[in-house]
Amino acid sequence: MEKQKVLFANGNELAACAARQIRYHVMGYYPITPSTQIAENLDLWRAEGKTDIRLIAAEGEHSAAGVCYGASAAGGRVFGATSANGLLYALEEMPVQSGTRMPMVMNVACRTVSGPLCIKGDHSDIMYLLNTGWLILFAPRTQAVYDMNLMGLKLTEEMNLPVAIGYDGFFTSHQKRRCQVFSEDETVQAYVGRRERKENALNLQNPVTIGSYMGEKDILQNKYELHRAMRQADARLDSLFAEYEKLSGRRYRKVEGYCAEDAEYLLVLLGSSFETAKEAVDELRESGVRAGAVTLQVLRPFPAREFWEICRNAKRMMIGDRQDSYGAQGGNLSLEARAAMQRYGYAGKISARVYGLGGTDFFKEDALKLFEICRESESGDFDYYGVEDISDGAFTERLEEGACADAGHTPLNALHPEETLLHLTSCSYDPEKMVMQVKGGGLKETTAMPKRLSPGHGACPGCGIPVNLNLLMRGIEGNVVFVFHTGCGMVVTTAYPKTSFRVPYVHNLFQNGPATMGGIIAVYEEKQRRGEMPEGDITFVMVSGDGGMDIGLGSALGAACRNQKMILFEYDNGGYMNTGYQLSYSTPYGAKSATSHVGKEQFGKDFFQRDTAQIMAAAGIPYVATVAESNPSDFIKKAAKAAEYSRKFGMAYVKALSACPLNWNDKPEREREVISAAVDCCFFPLYEVEQGITRLNYDPEKIGKKIPVTDWLSKMGRTRHLIKTEYREVVEAMQKEIDRRYARLKARADEPLL
Amino acid sequence: MEKKSLQEKRILPYTDENGYYEIRLESIGGLGANLAGKMLGELGVLGMELNASAFSSYGSEKRGSPVRAFVRYREGTEEILRNAPVVSPHLLGVFHEAMAKSYPVFTGVFDQTQIVLNTYLKKEEAIEKYGITQGNLYCLDAGLIARECKCRLNMVMLGALVCASGFLSLKKLEELCTESLGKKYPDLLAANLSGIEEGYRTIKEQSGTGCGQSGDFSGRVVDNLPQSPAGCGLDSMAEPYAGGFHETIGGVNPMAGNSIQNDLSPGREGYVPVFHPQKCIQCGLCDSACPDMVFRFEPGIWNGKETLVNQGPVYQYCKGCLRCVSVCPTAALTREEEEKAGGF
Repeated sequence: MEKQKVLFANGNELAACAARQIRYHVMGYYPITPSTQIAENLDLWRAEGKTDIRLIAAEGEHSAAGVCYGASAAGGRVFGATSANGLLYALEEMPVQSGTRMPMVMNVACRTVSGPLCIKGDHSDIMYLLNTGWLILFAPRTQAVYDMNLMGLKLTEEMNLPVAIGYDGFFTSHQKRRCQVFSEDETVQAYVGRRERKENALNLQNPVTIGSYMGEKDILQNKYELHRAMRQADARLDSLFAEYEKLSGRRYRKVEGYCAEDAEYLLVLLGSSFETAKEAVDELRESGVRAGAVTLQVLRPFPAREFWEICRNAKRMMIGDRQDSYGAQGGNLSLEARAAMQRYGYAGKISARVYGLGGTDFFKEDALKLFEICRESESGDFDYYGVEDISDGAFTERLEEGACADAGHTPLNALHPEETLLHLTSCSYDPEKMVMQVKGGGLKETTAMPKRLSPGHGACPGCGIPVNLNLLMRGIEGNVVFVFHTGCGMVVTTAYPKTSFRVPYVHNLFQNGPATMGGIIAVYEEKQRRGEMPEGDITFVMVSGDGGMDIGLGSALGAACRNQKMILFEYDNGGYMNTGYQLSYSTPYGAKSATSHVGKEQFGKDFFQRDTAQIMAAAGIPYVATVAESNPSDFIKKAAKAAEYSRKFGMAYVKALSACPLNWNDKPEREREVISAAVDCCFFPLYEVEQGITRLNYDPEKIGKKIPVTDWLSKMGRTRHLIKTEYREVVEAMQKEIDRRYARLKARADEPLL
Repeated sequence: MEKKSLQEKRILPYTDENGYYEIRLESIGGLGANLAGKMLGELGVLGMELNASAFSSYGSEKRGSPVRAFVRYREGTEEILRNAPVVSPHLLGVFHEAMAKSYPVFTGVFDQTQIVLNTYLKKEEAIEKYGITQGNLYCLDAGLIARECKCRLNMVMLGALVCASGFLSLKKLEELCTESLGKKYPDLLAANLSGIEEGYRTIKEQSGTGCGQSGDFSGRVVDNLPQSPAGCGLDSMAEPYAGGFHETIGGVNPMAGNSIQNDLSPGREGYVPVFHPQKCIQCGLCDSACPDMVFRFEPGIWNGKETLVNQGPVYQYCKGCLRCVSVCPTAALTREEEEKAGGF
């Protein structure tokens, strides 16, 4: 056995540790909870010079999977990690990877698939992989994440099939446990060996074509070969596990049982709940009940025979599904387990229960309860466990009851249309000059505008998002309908059963907000045209963070090209704050984040912030504006203008720099000052592009207020390190880029044709 | 791979029927309870030859929102099989006292629970105020100690918790702190160590006969020992208003703007803005800077003119960010300690 050391670590840390020891060439990723820590750890080690894995922060999981595919096609050793909707967004890449037989290892920290949005763990994501041709290992405990990452690489490269390593999000990904890893990286390197695959995109001596265009029979044959590879993998697994046992002392099996041999009643569970079930088994055995538990550590190829062998003697079986294949009377685990048992002629009774969705905790008592249901002779074949059974009639009744109870003494807080028609701002359009004039919009007068959001939301103290939303709403008269991308702004305002929205609101996942709003607008226009809806104006406001503008830029540009009548409002806090501050494409150059650490090998983020306003302006929409809370009157006037443009002409894009005290690492009460400095150093210039004409609304240079970028950087913990002399080049490069962008902006402002 | 010698040596003073010693830390995001939990876990595994697990109540955690951290110990040879939150802790750390008014922080306390409460109250006062009838309560003003030691509050609480446990090693904790935090923040190490020691000492003084001696129980309650599940995990307790609401089709929420019922004051960290109406010039800057919609402006008379008049903050929603204080041009809003200002 090789030398090992004890760590107190969680599943994500172990996956990262294995990746570091393997020394993959490339990891393509997009941060998604609960898998984010994997890339974060690797980035930290990269900054410290402890790994040289090339980390590519893609703008979404679809692209992250593309990066992985390309890297694999190029003959690299490739690593990935994702969860939930990230996996689904990448899903179409999965059969590409397996169908062209490109190996890679991807960790899936399993989490429930939206919507409604929930970030907690269940198996509804990993089961989508079942039909993609990927090998799937499933780690029931933390230690297994490490071990399977090593074995998985060997397997994927031998079989030329990609492998996914699933484990329970949060329960396994985040719970720290005592674990063992090999003391020497060399042990790992020797175990995995070197990958030699001649058929790669960088083989210039013997060029190959990867990804042929195939006819019917060829596809049939291609899939047959894939099926055969799965069979080969099935035949290989036992020896793979045995070899690894020699190395580590830890034995894995396709199917693992606990007191299963002589069990009368078997509980079958995937993942961490199997561990908890062991405690229930012990307790039942003590009271004389012959109970046992079984888990699968391999889902693809499905170990049907081994499963049957371990379960064949049980009188009754209960299969817990942490996922449902809705309408099929079972989740995929129980469906496949039933099929396996039937294939080999099992005559006992099998029941299945869906449990623990959305990370609902699984206690020993729950396992005991499942055993109890299993033992009852009249228990049904399939049901949900841990839910209330509300019949249709009772449902409405209860809803009304709930509504009354919930409303308590406070009347419902909906905002009615007439309450917001106050004429605090008014717009008039001059078609000759193609200019929209705004009257009103002063800070004091617009205080009268009722807020479209209720207080009581859960944003961090000092958060800029509600501040910016409220400033935007001050300038908008009348009806508003919101669509929000996933992000802090959405999470803190709509935690069920509460909502802060007093006007209609829809959430959709954040590659898709502008398209969703496009659909809403289409129905609005069509219903009005058909006379199904009264005349009248609505301002449609689609709200996104800067993260939503990374992954959702395509959707935003699509809506812009269609010039749909909405305001696209971006609150840019320069990072993925909702998931713990990973870098976004808007994060300032040099800033540290959870995926751009500062260390001897890294100075923070290594590329400049994306100029989203210019991209949107280039799409030719009628109105683009940047706003900042430090210039509130300018902000409110532009909001009024954007609203009028969106109602009359098409899309208006408004971008606010939005404070995040938690991750900017500064004091909440200083944020307006920090925003002001960002404006004054021209990192965030205030301007508008109206019908293609650029206008600077505030020129710090002109009034002698321009400050060096360091005056802004020094105000935030995330950039304060840049002030040190060792980072002078970084700051100089940043200053140069800011000045260049500002000079171009001024040139545009001076020359209408630009 | 387990060391045989460990089988003989039992470290945990007492456990539940399955051999677990369990810890729960009650806090709000930003006070470092998560890190404290991790360090207690590490202390068990790397410092004391125990088996341990450590985790937190994960969510989209925002500063000021409730956070629970959980630690489990078992003897070094025994596997930790549980993944669910700790319901009945042997050791309970309450980092943020204000939580108690909206969240059941003392839930699951039983006669063996050692409770460490961060409070300015005296033990008798706290027992009275929170109706603590089981377990052994220790009180300390961890915030004050942290300010004096210039360290993080979680370090003071760690020292206190280690002492209250009666078996965790202060020396090992200090070694761990030096090893992990010392590397990351070398400048703060001395301050953090002094915070740990001061937390430990404060608890030690209270125990008289040495800390962690259970038996100092002030009484019993009838229904305070929750049966863990089925379907009543701690998650549901995180939402004090969850009762009485039944899910709508698709989770569509018909209760427009009902977050107005929430009370956010437990998330504050000790300071509030105090409004001095006589100095206010009704400029509206505070309202433009407030993320929490705390200010109300209503039509009225100011300086003899009809105008919108600032009615001052509604403290139920105020998270104490003090943005309003910074932007106020006339010092009509000032930063005050919450308790001194009257505890809103």
